[in-house]
Amino acid sequence: MDRRLLLDLAVGAAAIAGWFLLYGMVRLATRPASPAPAPATPELGAEPPAVVSLLVNRWSVTEDAAESTLLDLAARGFIELRQPGNDPMQTTLHLPPAPPDDGGLRPYERRVLDRVRGLAVHAVVPLTALTFRDQAQARAWNKRLRAQVVADARRAGLSRRRFGPAVTTLLVAAAMVAGVGVGLAVLHYGIWHQEEDNVGFAAGIVTSAALSALAGASPGERDTALGRQVASRWLGVRAWLRGHEQFDELPPAAVAVWDRYLGYGAAVGATRLSSAVLDLGLGDRTRVWSSFGGTWHRVRVRYPRFLPRYGRTLPGLLLRAVISIAVGAFLLKVVGGAVDLAPSTTDQVERVLAVAVDGIAALALLLLISGGYTLVRGLADLAAERTITGEVLWLEVWRSTARRDNQPSQPILHHLAVDDGTGDRTTAWVLPSQWATDCRDGDTVTVRVRPWTRRVISLSVVGQGRSRRLTESPVVDDTDDLPASGRGGTTEPAGPAARPVGLFTPEEVGQALGLPVRAAEGLELPGPLSGAQFRSAADGQPVLMIQAVDGAPGRWIWRLNARGQELPGIGDGAFVSASGEQAVLRVGDSTVAVTLVGAARGRAAHLPWLLAQAAARVSAGHDGASA
Amino acid sequence: MGSGVILGIAGGLFCLLVVVLVGWALAAYNRLVRQRNQVQASWAQIDVQLKRRHDLIPNLVETVKGYAAHERGTLEAVVAARTGAIEAAGTPAVADRAAAENVLTQALGRLFALAEAYPDLKANQNFAALQGELANTEDKIAYARQFYNSAVQTFNTSVQSIPTNIIAGIGGFRAMDFFAAPDGERAPVQVRF
Repeated sequence: MDRRLLLDLAVGAAAIAGWFLLYGMVRLATRPASPAPAPATPELGAEPPAVVSLLVNRWSVTEDAAESTLLDLAARGFIELRQPGNDPMQTTLHLPPAPPDDGGLRPYERRVLDRVRGLAVHAVVPLTALTFRDQAQARAWNKRLRAQVVADARRAGLSRRRFGPAVTTLLVAAAMVAGVGVGLAVLHYGIWHQEEDNVGFAAGIVTSAALSALAGASPGERDTALGRQVASRWLGVRAWLRGHEQFDELPPAAVAVWDRYLGYGAAVGATRLSSAVLDLGLGDRTRVWSSFGGTWHRVRVRYPRFLPRYGRTLPGLLLRAVISIAVGAFLLKVVGGAVDLAPSTTDQVERVLAVAVDGIAALALLLLISGGYTLVRGLADLAAERTITGEVLWLEVWRSTARRDNQPSQPILHHLAVDDGTGDRTTAWVLPSQWATDCRDGDTVTVRVRPWTRRVISLSVVGQGRSRRLTESPVVDDTDDLPASGRGGTTEPAGPAARPVGLFTPEEVGQALGLPVRAAEGLELPGPLSGAQFRSAADGQPVLMIQAVDGAPGRWIWRLNARGQELPGIGDGAFVSASGEQAVLRVGDSTVAVTLVGAARGRAAHLPWLLAQAAARVSAGHDGASA
Repeated sequence: MGSGVILGIAGGLFCLLVVVLVGWALAAYNRLVRQRNQVQASWAQIDVQLKRRHDLIPNLVETVKGYAAHERGTLEAVVAARTGAIEAAGTPAVADRAAAENVLTQALGRLFALAEAYPDLKANQNFAALQGELANTEDKIAYARQFYNSAVQTFNTSVQSIPTNIIAGIGGFRAMDFFAAPDGERAPVQVRF
């Protein structure tokens, strides 16, 4: 190999390896401590269970945080846990008629309590119905809870960022040096090879940026001196509780006897049974709780996978039936005359041939019968169409298009499980994906269906479910951005003040654009951006896109986009772009961009009015947040 | 297969069985020791709180005397119950101690009921502070009793269960007494649900 090339490679590799060596050393030096447990003691401290969970788990928040908070809320009288029989899985949560004042609840405690209150029907919710029916929602909810717990622990001086500003600066500076190293190596290589487009500079920048991004990514939390001291005491409590073998087997309803000890037991990992019963993650899609009809009941849902008729359209089904009949008839015509069920020949070859012909004839007959049956049942299915109304239990993608080079996979069919109140078992319907954004789990929907193929042919939402109020925006909360509230002080908003999904109603958008639109659907956007879009009710194509961003990124985006025609009197500032297809609005630290797309381009006459509605809602969000 | 080989296999299996049995016996013995230590540690927690209660009572009696000296009967009952509880603390029988402490709890209950008739006493800061401290101590006693009884139940279950009872018998482990709650606390429980 060329020695100069070897030298270039060595310089580049050494620069990157040097940075990773430094990064590894920093990680090693900042790893969370493992404090020695204090002597076993039953004396509880003042820290809430969720923070205790952080401390005893080496400064990482586990699912115990939410579960122990729920038990602690029960111990403090905000909720009641009742177990009617011997099975802890049958435990129900009840909202007391006169709960204590919840003004002093911490943000994550309120988050858990709000979930219970939001799901309760007639002040009751089964314990196992607290699970989520959407993976993204479960992830977002738990992520925010973790951020709030960490923020509380930091405020109390018990935890801190694993990489402080000085360490991050050091790593970023080292990333620059590594970038220079890589850049010089690539530059040197380019000069020797007399390349016209020397990419040395770009390579250096890319290396620096990638390594800086890695340095800036939060590696979690670490201990403080006070945190170690408190953690040591709580490890003593854990030793005490683990010493009591019975404690391990206590069900959640035992909180009535053990009071706050049970919540703290769950926080320190001393309650196996309670922790096994409590779950605030993604629920089981085959056994879903429904409150349709006013009482809670569990519905078993089946999701057929290998049923040939399942989810088929009528034309597709009929085509298959016709092909099946045609192939069957053709085969029968070809081999029908040669069928001999009792061949008299003694020649082995002829006997084998006769059996093969018989087999082909049998297959042909089967195809004929199957095709005929499918044809008849398909047509009967058309006549048997019916309309059902019920609660959406589960909605998830079933089939998607194949991923291509530059096109991501697109869902084409969804599973839609609906409880119509007629039984405790159901089979999921198949919903064309263009309607899937219209409804959410918990909504009451009226669907027109073909029962044999389980295909939904029309859907309308007749009532919005409680879970819509509990919707989490997909924005990732950074713990550092959470407003600092005092211990037991005011609570934080569950997300940014500007929530794109709830910024406009479909009626408002339809009025402004002069075309009917469907309900808003969330958009996955990178980084701190959150987004939503409205689709045309006629063809399902996007017509309006909304992007929102808060905090420092919001200010930057405002500076970049505040151009065009100014719209005085709307929010803290608003502009419509020269093309008239995009408008941008600023309220406080929140920036909202509204873009007309597709068929709505050119329908900008009412964009200022739409922006004024957004400004009012974002302002209300800010007021709510600061109230 | 020769008889030597068969004997060897049988001997090996026997040795393995002996090793397993000895291992199990050691594990069972250690578990019993651990459970007994947990009972003792739980009892120590009760003891601390009971002593704390004993220490608070003289001050309480003196404070009440200042406002309701003529309620001699009640005050003497409290003093006598405290003396009885301190004497019982010297005995190893948990049942005796529990009975003496329950008498003291009831006497204190009567004393606080008496205070309701004396507004000046109720308004006294020292009395309010002592009342608060005693209530806090009572709470801690209740939890400590819960932990103790839980530990005793686990220990007794091990001592009385087959085959651990064999090891318990050899090791001298005996079932322990529960710390009974006062009569008032054993009244029918009002179920909240």
